[in-house]
Amino acid sequence: MSLEQFKNRNVGTQNYKTLDLDHTPVTGMGQFKQVVSRTFKPELFVGLWVTFREMINALFRGKMHTTQYPFEKLPISPRYRAIHDMLRLLESGHYRCIGCGLCEKICISNCITMDTQYDENQRKEVSEYTINFGRCIFCGYCAEVCPELAIVHGPRYETASEQRASFSLFEDMLTPIDQLNLQQEYQGFGAISPNADENIKKTPLAY
Amino acid sequence: MDATHLPEVTAAGVIIKAVLILAVIAAIAGFGTYIERKILAFMQRRYGPQHVGPYGLLQLVADGIKLFTKEDIIPQHANKIIFAVAPVITAATAFIALAAVPVFPDFTIPFIDVYVPSIASDINIGILFVLGMMAAGLYGPLLAGMAQANKWGIIGSARTAIQFLSYEVVTGLSILAPIMMVGSLSFVDFNDYQADGTWLVVYQPVAFILFLIAGFAETNRTPFDLLEHEAEIISGYVTEYSGMRWGLFFIGEYANMITIGVIASVVFLGGYNDFWIFPGWLMIIGKIAFSFFFMLWVRAAWPHVRPDQLMWLCWKVLMPLAVVNVVITGIVIMLVQ
Amino acid sequence: MYEFVAFYIFAIATTILFLITVMSKNVLYSMTSLAAGMVLISGLFFLLGADFLGVVQLIVYVGAVMALYSFAMMFFDATKDVKEKHGNSTLVFLLGGLMALVFVVMFSAPIIGENIQALYPVGLAENLGVSGNAQDVGLVLFTKYLVPFEVAALMLLVAMIAGIILAGKKMDYSLTECEASDEELQKEIKKEEA
Repeated sequence: MSLEQFKNRNVGTQNYKTLDLDHTPVTGMGQFKQVVSRTFKPELFVGLWVTFREMINALFRGKMHTTQYPFEKLPISPRYRAIHDMLRLLESGHYRCIGCGLCEKICISNCITMDTQYDENQRKEVSEYTINFGRCIFCGYCAEVCPELAIVHGPRYETASEQRASFSLFEDMLTPIDQLNLQQEYQGFGAISPNADENIKKTPLAY
Repeated sequence: MDATHLPEVTAAGVIIKAVLILAVIAAIAGFGTYIERKILAFMQRRYGPQHVGPYGLLQLVADGIKLFTKEDIIPQHANKIIFAVAPVITAATAFIALAAVPVFPDFTIPFIDVYVPSIASDINIGILFVLGMMAAGLYGPLLAGMAQANKWGIIGSARTAIQFLSYEVVTGLSILAPIMMVGSLSFVDFNDYQADGTWLVVYQPVAFILFLIAGFAETNRTPFDLLEHEAEIISGYVTEYSGMRWGLFFIGEYANMITIGVIASVVFLGGYNDFWIFPGWLMIIGKIAFSFFFMLWVRAAWPHVRPDQLMWLCWKVLMPLAVVNVVITGIVIMLVQ
Repeated sequence: MYEFVAFYIFAIATTILFLITVMSKNVLYSMTSLAAGMVLISGLFFLLGADFLGVVQLIVYVGAVMALYSFAMMFFDATKDVKEKHGNSTLVFLLGGLMALVFVVMFSAPIIGENIQALYPVGLAENLGVSGNAQDVGLVLFTKYLVPFEVAALMLLVAMIAGIILAGKKMDYSLTECEASDEELQKEIKKEEA
């Protein structure tokens, strides 16, 4: 199935295949015929063959389906909203946050706490910035409201740790200065994942 | 081997044999859980257990440690004695059934010169004894379900009663036709009857299929595992069980699977006769292993049936077929003689 | 020697288990001990060399009859004790004691008179060239006891047909495949009954 066909939402123009569902037999003879045909049709063996084929595929043709999670990880979608990242300006390397406080205001679970002060150039600087991840519901309002695209949701989803504070300080969320060239620009919430086309599959009904 | 040349069976030999069966089959039954998990995993393109030991082989040990060290919980309103006895009944009947079944070849222990027979108790009605013992095995699930003061348990034990009672009829009737052909109830006679290389399944394909279907029901395996159907009745009769008591049910179930495999192999699939270049002991182990694998295979492939479908299948399809098979076999035997 | 010891063990255990069956107020205990007693009785058959009868005892009494009993017991709360009604305990003891006495006399009299003998002993079929317990039973069943055997079979057939007729009145309704609501079903059933 090509992508164009898949995206065609016009009812009536698609090539749907209707299944030939014969109705439940009413007469005794019809029921008997159904039993006989079900008994002698090799349908059950088709099921056996499918599972056996999958076993051969898995064992000898390298089609094992398992991702061995802690050792290998699947790429996650850029829409994914996990632990926040604080981004830096690419030119200067300075953090983007201007200390406007919008994220603190909009946060519906009151988990963002920030404190700002004027530095020697009379610019606002962030003196303190924490997110209480015990409260955060990862709604994404902070990232949406941020005028500078400074706070975004990052891909760090493994949030098990000995202390909650391990994630929540400004410095922890800020892109490390030596990895500035690796910093990804945030696509926004509506962005589709880069491998979206590959992920389109036939629905299981097709086979 | 001619029966007259066998050494005399002593009490010591029988006791050694009994201990051997208990130890080896219990170990195999435990190992069966590993095999089951592995094969089901492969059929669903997963890896299965693989972190404990090489290829996950020591998973059995880990599970055993877990089961033994778990807290032994007996529900407050349960009937404590019956609750404790029920899993033992399941395991015990499964192993007692193996007493009349040929498992492992016979051998003589050197130095102390004790002959260990192939069958622990060679009674000449072996098949009936095994079927009877498996029939008695229904008390395990039944009492377990009734003793635990749990509605799911009651439903599970009600299903036990109807399922086991109904399918015993099919087992008995289906195996009756080969018994008529051989004219004996002894496993040894069945084996000797097929010594010429023609397996009984050639003469009795219907009986073989019926026996397999009924065997699935009697061992509570997947198309018919309504006794502990997770989606409907939590875990049926084992709902309140945990730890080693639950483990005993498990061991009993796997031992029963092996017993069904042995009966199918000896009665229908040529027994422990030599075949082509393969010696008899390899053949019987291969057949039992295949029937075990087949049970797992079926579990991976086929869905459950509903209870009413189960009863429908038993009384309206299998039992009439079995009776017709017995009658036709009788007529043919009469005409041939 | 072994057989002697085994007989007494089986006999005592059977008696104790059946006593529990009678004395216990708990359904589960009675049921379990009755089933276990049946198993031990089959042990007695094995001791006598009647393997076939022992196994039949196992299959029929333990596997079928007792299972049906226990299926009936599902309708009770098995974890609670049964409240028994003791009306006239003297009469009960008297009648029970008399019954027991009659049985003891009945069975011990021929032993004391030493005129007890097996009409068809184990190993009967060996004279005909076939050995085996099943053959013994078959020989007796199809010669001397042919008429009672067939009459029993007929009786069972009658009972089975009667059971099917009693239980199968509304069998043409499949409740699981029915698409009608419960109320409609009730109406339908009432209409049928009227």
